[in-house]
Amino acid sequence: MKNKLGRRDFVKVTGAAMAAGAAGFNIPAAFSQANSAPGPDAAEREIAMLALDAVKAAGATYADVRVSRHLFEAIGTRERQITNVTKNESYGIGVRALVGGSWGFASTRDLAKDSVVRVAREAAAIAAANDKIAPTKTVLAPARRVPDGRWITPHEIDPFSVPVEQKADLLFRTNEEALKVKGVQFVSSRIFSVKESRLLATSEGSVIQQTFIRLAPSVEVTAVAADASDFQTRTQSAQAAARGWEYVVGLSYPENVLRWAEEAVMKLSARPVEPGRWDLVLHPSHLWLTIHESIGHPTELDRAMGYEANYAGTTFVAPPQNVLGKLRYGPEIMNVVGNRTEPGACATVGWDDEGVAATEWPIIDKGIFVNYQTTREMVDWISPLTGVKESLGCAYGENWASIPFARMPNVSLKPGREDLSVEDVIAQTRRGIYIEGDGSYSIDQQRYNFQFGGQVFWEIRDGKRVRMLRDAAYVGRTPEFWRSLAVVGGPSSYELGATFFDGKGQPTQSNAVSHGCPVALFRNANIINTA
Amino acid sequence: MIEPIVQLPNRRHGLSSEDSRALSERVLGFATADYTRVNIQSGTRGFTRTAMNRVTTAGTSDDVSVTITSVFGKRTASIETNQLDDASLGKAVRDAEALARISPENPEYVPELGQQTFAEVNGYYDSTGNLSTEARARAGALGIKAAEEAGAIAAGFIDVQAGAEAIATSNGLFGYGALTGVASTLTVRTPDGSSSGWGGDEGADWTTIESERIAADAVQKCRDWRRKTSLEAGKYEVVLEPAAVATLMGWMRFSLDARQADEGRSYFAKRGGGNMIGEKLFDSRITLISDPAAPNAETLPFTSNGQPTPYRSWIEGGVMKNLSYSRFWAERKQVAAVPGPANLVMSGGSATRDDMIKSIRRGVLITRFWYVRMLNPRTIAVTGLTRDGTFLIENGKISRPVNNFRFNQSIAELLQNVEMLGAPVRAAATEGGSVGTPVVVPPLKVKEFFLSSVSDAI
Repeated sequence: MKNKLGRRDFVKVTGAAMAAGAAGFNIPAAFSQANSAPGPDAAEREIAMLALDAVKAAGATYADVRVSRHLFEAIGTRERQITNVTKNESYGIGVRALVGGSWGFASTRDLAKDSVVRVAREAAAIAAANDKIAPTKTVLAPARRVPDGRWITPHEIDPFSVPVEQKADLLFRTNEEALKVKGVQFVSSRIFSVKESRLLATSEGSVIQQTFIRLAPSVEVTAVAADASDFQTRTQSAQAAARGWEYVVGLSYPENVLRWAEEAVMKLSARPVEPGRWDLVLHPSHLWLTIHESIGHPTELDRAMGYEANYAGTTFVAPPQNVLGKLRYGPEIMNVVGNRTEPGACATVGWDDEGVAATEWPIIDKGIFVNYQTTREMVDWISPLTGVKESLGCAYGENWASIPFARMPNVSLKPGREDLSVEDVIAQTRRGIYIEGDGSYSIDQQRYNFQFGGQVFWEIRDGKRVRMLRDAAYVGRTPEFWRSLAVVGGPSSYELGATFFDGKGQPTQSNAVSHGCPVALFRNANIINTA
Repeated sequence: MIEPIVQLPNRRHGLSSEDSRALSERVLGFATADYTRVNIQSGTRGFTRTAMNRVTTAGTSDDVSVTITSVFGKRTASIETNQLDDASLGKAVRDAEALARISPENPEYVPELGQQTFAEVNGYYDSTGNLSTEARARAGALGIKAAEEAGAIAAGFIDVQAGAEAIATSNGLFGYGALTGVASTLTVRTPDGSSSGWGGDEGADWTTIESERIAADAVQKCRDWRRKTSLEAGKYEVVLEPAAVATLMGWMRFSLDARQADEGRSYFAKRGGGNMIGEKLFDSRITLISDPAAPNAETLPFTSNGQPTPYRSWIEGGVMKNLSYSRFWAERKQVAAVPGPANLVMSGGSATRDDMIKSIRRGVLITRFWYVRMLNPRTIAVTGLTRDGTFLIENGKISRPVNNFRFNQSIAELLQNVEMLGAPVRAAATEGGSVGTPVVVPPLKVKEFFLSSVSDAI
């Protein structure tokens, strides 16, 4: 599920004094900057090794240690004023231990040697206590040893090198342009910046230092009716990315906000949608979230096995033996991949939190479901069915205080062969609604019934956009919805949408994840009026 | 061989008042800004998670974080760090001050508060603070055992938090509070996935968490919901159990703001301007308050900027009594500042769940909700789904288990359509099963609740 932002959802870094080093090991070719990625800080490496020694001595048959710094910066504005400038830095160590077949985890902000040893022993003791009370079996798939892994998010300008005034100036110029539009009363805008330094050391000999950079800019414009009887907002919020500051500059907010502001005002007088059956043309700024909820989450293997039953739920894509290679998710034109390699995507890494190299794999091939998302302990559950003997690299813990578990990679819908644009797809629609931007969203705990709103709705008649509509949402059942996919747009319509705050697990952890997709046409969807 | 962990008996988690004061003074000693505020959060979290009738993960984490807010004129910025040595704290203060100096002015900044008087709150329960890993594992195992005996599969979560928060300003304000919280939830499913039941408690005091009853509730709901049958979507009389009510009322917190209303972007906006304070908006039996000393639902007696959070009524006898006013907005409107709700306590009535069921000719019993999101802020309409036990009521009796539903429902209308109220309880109100904002609510019987479409999920 996509979470609202909580105060402590992020904990974060400044650059530690990290020595630059030799070329990385086992680095995916796509990352040109990988060779310049810094290696581990010597003191952190020593602490990690100390923790590994202690946890092994305490009985762990496998263990991994994360020493991580997390830096999070938020700059927020409304109209012509600043609302907040905050930077959070969090630094600590987390130790995960396997004793018998049970996991234990302990973490602390205190990196003094005695504290690190205490925490390492505590992780092993918790694992042992669990194994005694409820013994279980865990098999870890093999992972290639990475003795000196180094990776950094490809970027030109480190967002933390950009002065706060410059960021605020961009937001103020954006707000000013929006306020020029008659009827706009309020505008708020913000930029979240993240930089994380993560050192992973495993009892199998991997030592991996990675640095992640992410940015999430957003704007919300509000128009209020003259008699205060109504208000409408237009939010642009799906543009989080793993890129440098140059990405935010390239979004040209001060130029583009004009259209969003005009749309907010138009929504006040737009025609209420007539409920019923309509074709849907979904722009990537909307479709990414539908993919997240109706493909990304249902194809998590831990859900299929019941591990998330008490919170996020299970999935209709289960049990594995009944669906792998058998379940028709959609038509032949539907091809969906999972990856942690797509440039600019938020879940892209060099290695996951178990030291497994980033990769890409098919989840839905020509409409047929062919594989789940896995971590090392999950491979054994389905390898007889898939023939895949290695983890697909989906282990992730939000920070040093979070136990790593299966998190969603980038899950993306591939564009079609023919390079159809948004207008080309609209032209194929006789009576439909074109939706841009994500709105209200909710889906059941097995990912069948969903209801998604949007930011802007346009009525399509005979292949043309004719008027704006309001108060629309579509309600559907995932299998029928994806089987109604009629057209996928071409490579030039492909875009990434993303969130910083995908929630899963107990305690809930946030994961940043992107979904790429082209524009797409769905037939005969069920539209409701939400007013 | 595993060496024993050295654990002090009855160790109180989080910094003491004295240590918090000393730490804040250390930070303020580095400060050169016009005003400086220090917020300190400290404590520990322990959790145990079960699924597939085994403990899947368990762990602990402790942390101390210091947030420094520096102010020059109307320029302000904050830095949060968890590194507490002098060098790190001094750097954090310098960074906050440098950031504040270059930040644009916030014309709405209101100077830091001096010393305030705070309510007495005793929200730290040793029963929770001293809970061991083994005790959590035993409680988890109890749910597993109950499920196994019923031929079912358990997945549960026990979240335990214990710690303290402190605030200090360069104007001489100091506040300190210690709190504990525990949430225990359990989902029990049949092995074939055809039924699911849920039970859960949340509180500040571990002794109020009824692990055996939670397991019994979850098993019973799973049993009763087997062989669910079809029921069409529509408007129904419903009985909402406390967990369902709590999830909905949690959304009210975001709507109780005067500025949003005064600016015309809230349900509480009055046509032509202003807000609806003083107006009778809801059923006369609806009373909603916040109280930092509410038993087993305690909160800090101050906000993060040091404002006292005394007892406050939001809705009294169906009349809108208060909306929250930020210090800036209060000054602008020439009224007293009112911090937003830190907990929500709703009054109840004397009806039992059985009374409610007996009074219904045709309706639906709802155990809890899932994935609730705002649909329309103009009407405080939310959407979401029923989960883990949904039943048709006919002629005063539960007649059969039925499919789940999506609902699209205005909470404002719901508070107008209440027909019967039961005894309020602190309910497990977060979707994630973590300790959350305390919400104390009764079970409700409500008319014309809109179950808008069918969900096949189990």
